[in-house]
Amino acid sequence: MEWQEVVIRLFKNKISLIGLILIIFFGVIAIGAPWIAPPSDPSEPYMVPRAGWGFEPQPPSSEHIFGTAEGQYDIFYGIIWGTRTAFRIGFIIVGISSFIGILVGTLAGYYGGWFDEVVMRITDIFMAIPFLIAAIVMTTILGQGLRNVMIALITFGWMNSARLMRSQVLSIKEEEFVIAADALGAGDFRIIFKHVILNTIFPLVIEASMRMGSMVITASTLSFLGIGAPEGYADWGQMISFARNWILGGEGNAIKYWFTVVIPGGAITLFCLSWNLIGDAFRDILDPKLQ
Amino acid sequence: MSKEKLIDVNDLATYFHTEEGTVKAVDGVSFEIYPGETLGIVGESGCGKSVTSLSIMRLIESPPGKIENGEILFNGKDLTKLNQKQMRKIRGNDISMIFQEPMTSLNPVYTVGDQIMEAILIHKDVSKKEARQEAIDMLTKVGIPLPEQRVDEYPHQLSGGMRQRVMIAMSLSCDPQLLIADEPTTALDVTIQAQILELMNSLKRQFGMAIMMITHDLGVIAEVSDRVAVMYAGKVVEYADVKDLYGDPKHPYTWGLMYSIPHIEKDLERLEAIPGNVPNPLNFPEGCKFNTRCQFATDKCRVDEPELEEVEEGHYSACWHVDKLEEQKAKQGRG
Amino acid sequence: MISYIVRRLLILPIILIGVTLLVFSMIMMLGPYERLSTYIKDPAELKNVDVDVLVTKLGLNDPWYEQYGRWISGVARGDMGWSESAGSTVTQAFLSRFPATAELGLLALLPVVVGGVILGVFASVHHNDFWDHVSRVLAIIGWSVPTFVFGLIMLMIFYGTLGWFPPSRLDSWALDIVNSAGFINYTNFFIIDGLLNANFAIVGNAIRHLVAPVITISILWWAFIMRITRSSMLEILRRDYIRTARAKGVKENVVVYKHAVRNALIPVVTVAGRMVLGLLGGLVITETIFNIKGLGQFMAQAAQQLDYPAVLGGTLYFGFLLILINLCVDVSYAIIDPRIRLE
Ligand SMILES: Nc1ncnc2c1ncn2[C@@H]1O[C@H](COP(=O)(O)OP(=O)(O)OP(=O)(O)O)[C@@H](O)[C@H]1O
Ligand code: SF4
Ligand SMILES: [Mg+2]
Repeated sequence: MEWQEVVIRLFKNKISLIGLILIIFFGVIAIGAPWIAPPSDPSEPYMVPRAGWGFEPQPPSSEHIFGTAEGQYDIFYGIIWGTRTAFRIGFIIVGISSFIGILVGTLAGYYGGWFDEVVMRITDIFMAIPFLIAAIVMTTILGQGLRNVMIALITFGWMNSARLMRSQVLSIKEEEFVIAADALGAGDFRIIFKHVILNTIFPLVIEASMRMGSMVITASTLSFLGIGAPEGYADWGQMISFARNWILGGEGNAIKYWFTVVIPGGAITLFCLSWNLIGDAFRDILDPKLQ
Repeated sequence: MSKEKLIDVNDLATYFHTEEGTVKAVDGVSFEIYPGETLGIVGESGCGKSVTSLSIMRLIESPPGKIENGEILFNGKDLTKLNQKQMRKIRGNDISMIFQEPMTSLNPVYTVGDQIMEAILIHKDVSKKEARQEAIDMLTKVGIPLPEQRVDEYPHQLSGGMRQRVMIAMSLSCDPQLLIADEPTTALDVTIQAQILELMNSLKRQFGMAIMMITHDLGVIAEVSDRVAVMYAGKVVEYADVKDLYGDPKHPYTWGLMYSIPHIEKDLERLEAIPGNVPNPLNFPEGCKFNTRCQFATDKCRVDEPELEEVEEGHYSACWHVDKLEEQKAKQGRG
Repeated sequence: MISYIVRRLLILPIILIGVTLLVFSMIMMLGPYERLSTYIKDPAELKNVDVDVLVTKLGLNDPWYEQYGRWISGVARGDMGWSESAGSTVTQAFLSRFPATAELGLLALLPVVVGGVILGVFASVHHNDFWDHVSRVLAIIGWSVPTFVFGLIMLMIFYGTLGWFPPSRLDSWALDIVNSAGFINYTNFFIIDGLLNANFAIVGNAIRHLVAPVITISILWWAFIMRITRSSMLEILRRDYIRTARAKGVKENVVVYKHAVRNALIPVVTVAGRMVLGLLGGLVITETIFNIKGLGQFMAQAAQQLDYPAVLGGTLYFGFLLILINLCVDVSYAIIDPRIRLE
């Protein structure tokens, strides 16, 4: 299928259209953050402003439309600027780890032999540790902070695209046009790039799109566990970690502090949902067998 | 032949309603098969042979497929009117089927014996033990060595030829009146092909069932059939006794297949017997569907579609210009 | 099958050594003083000793391969250092918390696999109709809700509001019974121990405490297994042997459940390994939220308190556990697929 056709179908497919609209919506929020929620200290826009020093979260009001979290952090501000954080985390992690994966997978698949064997065993080893556990230990060792979270997630996040890429390269390597290009004497590098990468791009895009969601979830999980973003940083997981002491509500009203969980939780869910919707629709379009 | 018809297909039409449009895979096919007779169905890839046979079995995937028109009388009963429950009593029992791909037609996770026994247990009132014995007997009949041992093996432990024998054993296990064989030898290599055809011929004598033999190999048809239907683009274009058809084809398509190439035992798919391509089933030409490739085509052919007509006794052809073909044959015959 | 398993067992040492190297290289990212705690068995060793002397004694400034040799021989004996956050050696902490995690994990696995497969088959049979779309959208949503958000909402509704499913492993009265002399802790799986002691109140209480965490940890993998089963089924239902079965006159539900499902499970089992990987990660969050004293909560606490030996040792144990589980997956793979079994 030509890529133009894929794009057209992506726009026609209702499911992916919902996904696209959601992503554009989040994109607008991320870009417009300085206008939607102007920072009080423009040099540190990612620090969520506090509306006081009280401990108890305050429900939504005209001043704080999403309410405030424990420590009077403004939830609205955290959500808006957290959108930027989510995009940044997602793009950096998925971009770099996909790049590593593509490189590793291509080389392993293309050169084959003992090189391939060694690379795949290394991949197995990285996959032998549960992802979240690996992310936790790596972040602990590097020290708290979003930058270290990203390093950890990249270190343990490249294997899927490497495997995918390798299998794609292996199947395409046998196909005629690659052999033909080989015979014409095109350099290795050109063969790899022109034919192989162009022909394997779609499965990788699906994988990357799905990973976008799961990486943002993992990063926010680390923040929630208290080893990711520092306190007060505009990060959705970090916002939710404020809610942990207030889950059981109070004064006979168990869901009194619902907004501390549901609002930031809803933001993460919708964000991941949008990427997953696109990934899923993409897969359907590219795999007509399953329609 | 004065015998009762075993199966009588009249004006069958099966369409697939896909996103791209309606595929008229079978569009007005008629033929009949008498008990104990072999009807050969021949045609290029995509002309609707498999869809015809799956329509008879009522195994067309629906949606997108649907039998739009026509009747399929089996012992006088119209199969298109039966519900799935009634159909299941016929499948594997009165009519059974073997397929082109022996490598993939058996379930890899069950033993050969289990799969043959399954058919027996569905249609016959026997115990498991008896069914197993019958399965072993069937394996013996289709010439599988060491049947007691093979019965407990899995398909992947058998060769392609052996698997096709298992398929045949399975399809004959309930003593069907009609066996539909959809290109049973295409996927096998030549020596095995000959063995399987020979086996089918001898089993036919033994079991006395009728066979509907689908193939695109004219050689196979010549070897096993009594009568032949030639299909093109979802239609039967010529229909005759095998001798008549080979000796004196009455349709330009059949003639092209047989005389434009040096040997008739050629595979139609691989050799471009006739210049031009099979028309796209989404967009068949007006009039005679063969007109895009026919050297005799006239304006009439591009407007009106010819129907199957009896041109000699028992010899049917769907062509406006059988006479032109006769002229051409006469010229070449002298030359 | 024997040769297949032997082959799997042969790569096992390579993976094991690889995992230890990976964990060791993370240890080496720490400075010698921080690394010290991963080598001691008791904090008493640190008392009245000059730290520099200890660093030299333990050879923490030696070339890495010498250190690796010493470290790995310790690991082989189960020495992974002292866990400050647990107040015991890492190995002891790990062993004492294992039952809680195993109980939760095993209980989650069953509904995930059975439920996911059933739903996936259901969706594939209803391919492209209303129920297929509904289950698909639900799966994508299930896949998008972070476990910790789901868990917190579960707590808020089912404990806070309704009071049905409390956190932790047992109510305090039940805990008292379990810790009393009359109750024998055979396995430390409270459900099993309750049954063995014929104390059904304990069993009931343990189950009540497990409902919410099991649902929380399952939801994601339900969606996952369902989607894999569905696409695998759709693929299988198009195979020639399915047509063969129909041509024999086999009933449609026998075609689906006997002929298709068993084949469709083969790819499902292959991804089960990946699921277990995620399930183990999910334990960290679920145990933390529901206050279950298992390995996951141990890891999270250790990380928060910068208890290096505990996180590193824990990672190593999780790696071993996963390798073991994958071996089980490989075996069940061989059981389903005769092509592998008879190789
Ligand atoms: N499920 C389906 N959906 C859409 N079109 C179909 C479907 N099944 C068959 N067709 C179309 O019906 C036409 C006839 O197919 P059929 O399988 O009967 O050909 P055939 O004569 O058996 O060819 P072959 O020799 O390759 O087996 C083809 O054009 C095919 O594309
Ligand atoms: S009807 Fe016309 S086009 Fe068709 S076969 Fe006859 S001569 Fe050719
Ligand atoms: Mg066919």
